[in-house]
Amino acid sequence: MPIAETKIVSARFDDPEAKNIDAYEKSGGYRAARKAVRMDPAEIAEQVKASNLRGRGGAGFPTGIKWGFVPKDADTVYLVVNADESEPGTFKDRHILYWDPHLLIEGMICASRALRVRNAYIYMRGEMMREYKVVQAALDQAYAKGYLGKRIFGSDMDLDITIYRGAGAYICGEETALLSSLEGGRGWPRLKPPFPAVKGLFGKPTVVNNVETIANCGFIVEHGGKAFAEFGTERSGGTRLLSVCGHVEKPGVYEVTMQTTGREVIEEVCGGMRGGRKVKGVIPGGVSMPVLLPDELDVPFEFDALQRDERIREVEVHPGQKFDLGGGRTLRTMAGSGGVVVMDETTDMTKALWRILHFFHDESCGQCTPCREGTGWLVAVAKRIAFGDGRPGDVELLADIANGIAGNTICALGDAAAWPTLAFLTKYRDEFVAKIPRAARAVTGAAAALETSP
Amino acid sequence: MTALKLSDEIEQKIAELWPRFPEDKVRKVLCLPVLYMASQQFGRVDEEVIRLVAERLELPPAHVRGVATFYTMIETGEVGEFHLQICTNIGCMLEGAYDVLGRCKKRLGIEKNHGTSADGKITVSEVECLAACGYGPVAQIAQKGKPDIPLYFEKLDEKRIDAIVDALLEGRVPVELGV
Ligand SMILES: Cc1cc2nc3c(=O)[nH]c(=O)nc-3n(C[C@H](O)[C@H](O)[C@H](O)COP(=O)(O)O)c2cc1C
Ligand code: SF4
Ligand code: FES
Repeated sequence: MPIAETKIVSARFDDPEAKNIDAYEKSGGYRAARKAVRMDPAEIAEQVKASNLRGRGGAGFPTGIKWGFVPKDADTVYLVVNADESEPGTFKDRHILYWDPHLLIEGMICASRALRVRNAYIYMRGEMMREYKVVQAALDQAYAKGYLGKRIFGSDMDLDITIYRGAGAYICGEETALLSSLEGGRGWPRLKPPFPAVKGLFGKPTVVNNVETIANCGFIVEHGGKAFAEFGTERSGGTRLLSVCGHVEKPGVYEVTMQTTGREVIEEVCGGMRGGRKVKGVIPGGVSMPVLLPDELDVPFEFDALQRDERIREVEVHPGQKFDLGGGRTLRTMAGSGGVVVMDETTDMTKALWRILHFFHDESCGQCTPCREGTGWLVAVAKRIAFGDGRPGDVELLADIANGIAGNTICALGDAAAWPTLAFLTKYRDEFVAKIPRAARAVTGAAAALETSP
Repeated sequence: MTALKLSDEIEQKIAELWPRFPEDKVRKVLCLPVLYMASQQFGRVDEEVIRLVAERLELPPAHVRGVATFYTMIETGEVGEFHLQICTNIGCMLEGAYDVLGRCKKRLGIEKNHGTSADGKITVSEVECLAACGYGPVAQIAQKGKPDIPLYFEKLDEKRIDAIVDALLEGRVPVELGV
């Protein structure tokens, strides 16, 4: 079954009553929080480790291990929920925030207990006005009931949760940029290490987790880590939310099992391709992740499989030259943020790549030269190819620029621009070459290509 | 001293957020929320507003300016009373966002992908992904002095975008069409 039978994070989607704390409690809500506030923090952390919960924000890092990096003797620890959701193709966190705000709050209470947090924050995308109102109303209800504030649920635990709104900057989703922004500055990423778990907000140990990651924590506390782990694969517990957009019959947000393949997502979950057209490409985890060809869709859309399954081709810089992720590792694709973009046979892949690169160039914070300059060149070259002004050597040039950015920047936005470039060129190379006007193609030599940009 | 004054809502927000952050950090923390709300109150953040915020929070104006120019939702340029932002990123592009944008620009006589109608009332621009990609094309409308908006508009087609533009031309945000 691709659609999860037990819905952990989406059970209350589409139920307008669930935002109300009484209805939430009637359907089993706040049982986990009541249990958590009387548990030994170390025991909650153990359960999260046993659950094999992995971060749903992009990198899939094991949550229990991340929590374990927080120094045991720290006097102040912060929890920051990353609700900045802005990776194109991704719209799942917005659903949790809007439909089930108490699920997030309850997860935050559990996580705060485990980490001994006194002040927790939700960094929310500024554009999400509707969601801000809903979550703030839910927080007000929880305060009124004594579930937040001093001595919550009559226990010895104090906890405040505060929403901090962003104001339009994709880069603030990157955790160190997010912390810079939450401190009231420009959203500039910082070099890691030190990692936030050791030196984060205001210089204190800070755990940054995605909305969906934290929304899973209530279930783990209530039912135990093992029960959660059993839903998933050996190394990745639970279910996952996918947000699917593009040319399918029923785009939307779906909670699926970890074993669900890309083909099942399209055919069974989303009702097939729109108008019966053929699929041409699928981006599995937000636009920074390498695109998949139709014959690569029988792989589970899950962290390990998407990275390792040999049915997915390795990304190349030039034909026959594999892209090096560092240490000789190759790149297939990754599960990322769960934002699935389905493109049918009518899609112009050169235009799709151009639009993706336009985004990354727009959103580069400008701190590192390879990213600031490189994304500018990428979008200029991709644009002239897409609009029929390509020059000889442009395809090679695009690949060389991308390869020069990857791995050479402060944060992963540089890679996020480079990876899709190389993947589109690896998999749709002929289409890119064919777009370059014939007369231009006849002459070779990449040097001329940089003279001007549109 | 400047003649401008921060609204009561902003003062209330400051009072609300103040106890939630460390005493020695909170002024800087408040810079972003205060700037954003000031941008809505005054329609845009110019040098005068920057000085006002800097004075209120006892921060160097250079810091406040740096923050103001970093975030796109803090308006530093001239915009109309209504700002219609259409997402043209991949999800919305696949659903025909550029046609919707084109139609809007044509109806309002705007040439570039970021411009304002001749009467100065309506600004149209492209915006990056709004996290509603499955319901595209998606747009967002902001209105000067109305902090309750931005509002999202999903599944835009010719008919729906025309209805939105009609309402804006009448001088109102078509709240009934939004989510
Ligand atoms: C450019 C960039 C943008 C990101 N945007 C987001 C985002 O919008 N939401 C999110 O949860 N994580 C985002 N991340 C990942 C965060 O840096 C971080 O890994 C994540 O919030 C950790 O939470 P998790 O372990 O629960 O996944 C982004 C990363 C990069 C490099
Ligand atoms: S990689 Fe790009 S976005 Fe990240 S810090 Fe460097 S310039 Fe900024
Ligand atoms: S691509 Fe338009 S909302 Fe995401």
